[in-house]
Amino acid sequence: MPPLMGIEFLCRVSDVLSDYLGGLNEDVIKDNFVIVYELLDEMIDNGFPLTTEPNILREMIAPPNIVSKVLSVVTGNSSNVSDTLPGATGSCIPWRAADPKYANNEVYVDLVEEMDTVINRDGVLVKCEIYGEVRVNSHLSGLPDLTLSFANPSILDDVRFHPCVRFRPWESHQILSFVPPDGEFKLMSYRVKKLKSTPIYVKPQLSSDAGKWCVNVLVGLRNDHGKTIDSITLQFQLPPCVLSADLTSNTGTVNVLGNKTCSWSIGRIPKDKTPSLSGTLEFESELERLNVFPTFRVGFKIMGVALSGVQIDKLDLKSTPSRLYKGFRALTQAGEFEVRS
Amino acid sequence: MAPPAQSQRSPSPSQPSGKSELSDLKLQLRKFAGSRAPGVDDSKRELFKKVISYMTIGIDVSSLFGEMVMCSATSDIVLKKMCYLYVGNYAKVNPDLALLTINFLQRDCHDQDPMIRGLALRSLCSLRVANLVEYLVGPLGSGLKDSNSYVRMVAVIGVLKLYHISASTCIDADFPSMLKHLMLNDSDTQVVANCLSALQEIWSAEASRSEEAPREREALISKPVIYYLLNRIKEFSEWAQCLVLELITKYVPSDSSEIFDIMNLLEDRLQHANGAVVLATVKVFLQLTLSMTDVHQQVYERIKAPLLTLVSSGSPEQSYAVLSHLHLLVMRAPYVFSSDYKHFYCQYNEPSYVKRLKLEMLTAVANESNTYEIVTELCEYAANVDIPIARESIRAVGKIALQQYDVNAIVDRLLQFLEMDKDYVTADALVLVKDLLRKYPQWSHDCIAVVGNISSKNVQEPKAKAALIWMLGEYSQDMQDAPYILESLIENWDEEHSAEVRLHLLTAVMKCFFKRPPETQSALGAALAAGVADFHQDVHDRALFYHRILRYNVSVAERVVNPPKQAVSVFADTQSSEIKDRIFEEFNSLSVLYQKPSYMFIDKEHRGPPEFADELGNLSIGEAEDNVVPSQRVEENDKDLLLTTAEKEETRGSTGHSQQASFGIDDLLGLGMPAVPDAPPSPPQLKLNAKAALDPSTFQQKWRQLPVALSQELSLSPQAIAALTAPQALLRHMQSHSIHCIASGGQSPNFKFFFFAQKYKESSNYLVECIINTSSAKAQVKIKADDQSTSQAFSTLFESALSKFGIP
Repeated sequence: MPPLMGIEFLCRVSDVLSDYLGGLNEDVIKDNFVIVYELLDEMIDNGFPLTTEPNILREMIAPPNIVSKVLSVVTGNSSNVSDTLPGATGSCIPWRAADPKYANNEVYVDLVEEMDTVINRDGVLVKCEIYGEVRVNSHLSGLPDLTLSFANPSILDDVRFHPCVRFRPWESHQILSFVPPDGEFKLMSYRVKKLKSTPIYVKPQLSSDAGKWCVNVLVGLRNDHGKTIDSITLQFQLPPCVLSADLTSNTGTVNVLGNKTCSWSIGRIPKDKTPSLSGTLEFESELERLNVFPTFRVGFKIMGVALSGVQIDKLDLKSTPSRLYKGFRALTQAGEFEVRS
Repeated sequence: MAPPAQSQRSPSPSQPSGKSELSDLKLQLRKFAGSRAPGVDDSKRELFKKVISYMTIGIDVSSLFGEMVMCSATSDIVLKKMCYLYVGNYAKVNPDLALLTINFLQRDCHDQDPMIRGLALRSLCSLRVANLVEYLVGPLGSGLKDSNSYVRMVAVIGVLKLYHISASTCIDADFPSMLKHLMLNDSDTQVVANCLSALQEIWSAEASRSEEAPREREALISKPVIYYLLNRIKEFSEWAQCLVLELITKYVPSDSSEIFDIMNLLEDRLQHANGAVVLATVKVFLQLTLSMTDVHQQVYERIKAPLLTLVSSGSPEQSYAVLSHLHLLVMRAPYVFSSDYKHFYCQYNEPSYVKRLKLEMLTAVANESNTYEIVTELCEYAANVDIPIARESIRAVGKIALQQYDVNAIVDRLLQFLEMDKDYVTADALVLVKDLLRKYPQWSHDCIAVVGNISSKNVQEPKAKAALIWMLGEYSQDMQDAPYILESLIENWDEEHSAEVRLHLLTAVMKCFFKRPPETQSALGAALAAGVADFHQDVHDRALFYHRILRYNVSVAERVVNPPKQAVSVFADTQSSEIKDRIFEEFNSLSVLYQKPSYMFIDKEHRGPPEFADELGNLSIGEAEDNVVPSQRVEENDKDLLLTTAEKEETRGSTGHSQQASFGIDDLLGLGMPAVPDAPPSPPQLKLNAKAALDPSTFQQKWRQLPVALSQELSLSPQAIAALTAPQALLRHMQSHSIHCIASGGQSPNFKFFFFAQKYKESSNYLVECIINTSSAKAQVKIKADDQSTSQAFSTLFESALSKFGIP
């Protein structure tokens, strides 16, 4: 038994179920057990995975939603299973439903990046990487054939594609050529290694003064991307031997939770001052040295910029229909962003 | 399906008040049964749902059977599905209902809606009632020929289900050959994939029973089939791709250009979004290039990036699975990953099973160029809140220190750990410092200075305490207080619970005595007295031994206890390289995650002897790759199979020669020449060559080609069972009867042997597979022979040889 097959399949099942039921927990499954039965029946038979493409499943088994409820009341046709077999099961493009029609042809491309960083206590970057995804939301009639190209494909390190992407054009010209599934999907994922800087800095300081331990954390912008950094948060675990902590900040709010997790939500960094957190820790017994140093986990969001520098050059549609609306967005957020102290 | 909003509000059906509710339901169902009014399906659905939820929580609703079936005469698929679920559940336990069910489902198998045909067929095959299998054959046959691919797909799996209920019915109806035809001709790839998985399962289960099965299985990995599947691989669903890729790993390409073709074709699979496909492709690449060292190295470079991405994206479970595989690869090629060590840095909130594996990876990839960074990183983890991980990382630092030549910086770090003033850190660091000193005695001065400052009272863990005591004994000349610390430890002898510590204490005080006699004498006396009085046998014995040897001659005692020591150059590895090779062959399976080859967790007691047939299949297929591999690979593989034949050297020398000769004879026999004139039944006339030789690959090849001539079960005497503590015992015995072992393995109670023998002065071979289960005292013997006519004679010979085993 290939282990990843099991894991991937289980992930897929949970994705599909939460997609259908709008969440995944015991109650939801109990309430919708018939749908769950139906889905599992189509997804696996005799221990071997069959259909896991959400688009095809959706055609075989309609999800329970308000629209279909209204429809069923109006038309009197209440079956949530389509009468005919899905066209795509027979077509050679299994991810695409047969011939959808849209009044407005739209396609949206989102670049979503996550920055994974480890900074050590001297402020040196130990590791800084970006994991990025290209998410596409397409509402196009017929059988559209899209090509997407990057301005700087060479910085992409390891790429992985949705099955719809043709391999040859990428190999020869770094062009993504594909027939998209209908709706939202992940077109590709990539990594960008060895970045040199982070958008914000965090400077934690722990010092002892006559038996008292003082904490002082500064957060600031490193260089200006021209975009504002949103929802900055900082979380860290206090050492287990801490009795109480008295922490205050000049911006945002600080909370110390029961399990000795301290979270500081800053939000946006104000123009006039540098956010700082300071306070004292009280220990069970007097300590000369601190043996456990907290790790600060940082969260942030930057809209409108992909920090890795990846840029989409253009998106073309073969046999352009009369009107096509194209939208692009980029977003960078913190993934595993850690600062050690 | 009823909208969820409604169902959420409906009261929980878990407590029906009893019989009255059931009869209530019955009445309602009856009311709707014949009705065709609009909206009636909705009410039916609600009722069905109620019935099924009762069923799910274990209330017997079988009395509603008739009504349920009546109500499901509808075109509403959801109703059908619920009804199928219901009937499927009760058919198993209630045979009367089963027959009714079958009628009902058979009717639906002819429905005009393909979805209903398929669903009915699936439910029909899932009933698993053994005495009703004859009703399956008809619907399955027409299902396989159905015009709709959905129905065919269901039917193919149905055949497999039928096979598991009744293998003979399935074979008799000639379903396997129909599947084979479908596999090679169907337009729908899901049908093809299902055929493939069904055929694989059927033929490997059949392998022990029929003679054509191995051939059919070989046919699945023949060139035309493999090429056919390869050409269509992009049409397959991701899961089916995994299946096909797994099959390809078993295929043996004829030359290197074929290998390159396959790899070129599959290269883009490495960029598939599904991790399972990526890993299966990696396996194909690794297995194909085993024989080509250069290309194999390039493959490592190529697969590196996709695997590392799989680690850093996705769920922790996925990371763990992939890391396990990477760990295996790193063991084989550490330098490939040495520049990517940063990928194995632990993230703060990863689960500890992932962290632990990452620590192992860091240890494995450490080399001269990256040691400094890695050790720095590991030291960060020593301050981790997660104590097991902190300890693990200290051990990792130690392991790296033992691997490297330049340990300067590392020793400093370890000594810092000692000063960190946390008991678990100190404990682990002490054990490491001890190991380090055994390898690098030149560091003793620096280490001892620090170790001397540690108060033995702060060290509680036996292992750490033992390490500290060892150092006290070994370096007592450099440690001012050594005798006194030992003395105080001896004073508390009774409070020391660990025998290991007490043993070390005895030895340490002895060593100390030879180095600083006046200061230690009283402590030694006390220790010996306490040791002799100790209730632990080992401690007692050791104390007595020291006592006597001291009385006999002090200088001899010193030579025994305190000889000049050589630095340990390599510490013994826990896992042998044979095992690792074996695991590598099972890449992309759970073996890698368990870090054990599959026979270790499959072949034990919970699997009976007949199941070994599967393993044989694996063996022979595993071997198949070796045919293209240079001979040293074959040798490695020998060791895999725990070969212990004495004349292995000899075998190798004469391999080529005897092989050719044996083929010559084969040909002659094939042409219909009369067999040996002195045929059975005269067993003594069959003489075996005492110095027979056969190399493993020829054996494998023959084992696959030849049909089973004889298969029997022999009983073993109790003496034989008693003598069979290890496979080797039987090997030597059989060898004295000119029957040689080519491979053996297994653990009590299941042993497995492959023997061969050669006819005297001819090169006609006999091959034997012998599976011995010591708990049932039975041996399953399968004999294959070049010369079929003498197999009976050989069998008699084998039996008599086996029966003499264990009798002196």
